[in-house]
Amino acid sequence: MTSGAFLTLLDGALVTLAACAAGVAIGMPLGLLFAVARWVDLRFFGRSVAIYVSVVRSTPVVTLALLVFFGLPSLGIEIGSTVAAIILLAVNTSAFNCEVWRSGLNTFQTDQIEAAKAFGMTSTQLFRRIIFPQLWRQCLPALINEVTMLIKSSPAIAVIGVVDITRAAIRVGAETYDPFPPMLAATLLYCVIIASTIVLQRVLEKRHMRRVSQDA
Amino acid sequence: MKNTLGAICLIAITGLACSTAHGATLAEIKARGYMVVATEDDYKPFEFVADGKPTGFDNEMLAELRKVVPFEIRQEIIPWTGILAGVTTGKYDVALTAATVTNERMQSLDFVAPIAETTNYYAKRKADDSIKDVGDLNGKSCGVQTGSAQLQMLPQLDALLAKSGGKIGTVRQYTSYSEAYQDLALGRTDCVINTIINLRSLANDKPNVFEVGKAVADQTVSAWAVSKGNTEVLTLLNDFIGKERQNGNFYKLQEKWFGQSFPNLPEKTSP
Repeated sequence: MTSGAFLTLLDGALVTLAACAAGVAIGMPLGLLFAVARWVDLRFFGRSVAIYVSVVRSTPVVTLALLVFFGLPSLGIEIGSTVAAIILLAVNTSAFNCEVWRSGLNTFQTDQIEAAKAFGMTSTQLFRRIIFPQLWRQCLPALINEVTMLIKSSPAIAVIGVVDITRAAIRVGAETYDPFPPMLAATLLYCVIIASTIVLQRVLEKRHMRRVSQDA
Repeated sequence: MKNTLGAICLIAITGLACSTAHGATLAEIKARGYMVVATEDDYKPFEFVADGKPTGFDNEMLAELRKVVPFEIRQEIIPWTGILAGVTTGKYDVALTAATVTNERMQSLDFVAPIAETTNYYAKRKADDSIKDVGDLNGKSCGVQTGSAQLQMLPQLDALLAKSGGKIGTVRQYTSYSEAYQDLALGRTDCVINTIINLRSLANDKPNVFEVGKAVADQTVSAWAVSKGNTEVLTLLNDFIGKERQNGNFYKLQEKWFGQSFPNLPEKTSP
């Protein structure tokens, strides 16, 4: 593989990272919002969220990509491929994250909530001081798992013209008629990215443990 | 569950109701100041990406087109799967790619003057001695790209083989020809059917692995496409190709990328 081909792959890696980071940055908090809406049983919103989550969870990312990219212009909404890719990844991960957050909320100990209410905490205070600090710690492994799943389903954005790692590898292979070296390089790049997210999880967990032991 | 089904139906109905979009007319393109063209990224030698830069015959023609039109041209580089759909839905104004002209496609697209003669041939592994002529393809598996004209035109090969009592073996479809070539090299498919120009490029780059065989279909041409009835844009592009033929640049680029020029191509494809 030439250095130019390797640069093409690195460009693809940056695109994968940026698109997934943006998708997670939007989708993870959105998922939390949806989960809370269902948990506190906001009637109409909660039910809409349930439908949204079911539809998104049952639609393959590639299909959703084509629907968003070619469907929206038919409705008069112009959308660029980068924006479409970020929306797509955010939508996908928000649905899965919603379920992770929701399972965390459903298993939250009610006696803590009752205690907080007995101390006169408002709902916002209760969520910020009691629920969320424990919730994120509990959900972290599953959330990071969703991040790695998102990274691995991200090659779907190539169908709408965003050149991620896999598409970059295909391009290099199509030019040289020798797809093996770029695919091997692409695999290594994915391994490095996934390993990094898992390292990030460990770091966050350790920092949290230190803080908890200092408090104690 | 009921809710989910309802929501899916709603999305599907909205999609169907709005599928009448069309490509922008020349006046609309001039008014907004730009035209959107779509090219592929893995269709060597027509369009491909070398060291991050789009190149090949169509990309060099595009550079010439940019010089002569009074508006900006925005290029979207996307996989084959989305190109024709993008043109029929009006997402892109021109499929600036080597799309094989077929009757089926003429139902929804208008084709510009052809850029090359692109009759379908087969390619085989160089080491495979069992295939010497078209008749030897009897019972062999064939690799083609999904949604390609090559796939649509396979019945022609079947008719050729039927004359000697044979027929095509398994047909394997790939999202891209790169994967078909790889499967051929690995021995999972016995031949790949594509245009003579693509296969010649393949065999020239990997002479020890692949070999071009013979024609497996009637003579065909490839051309750029616009959405059906977009006459003004069609005329603009026909005139452009006419001028490039007159000044000889068209033939020079054909020589450079296809290894031969095609001086006898018609000046129009769609009426």
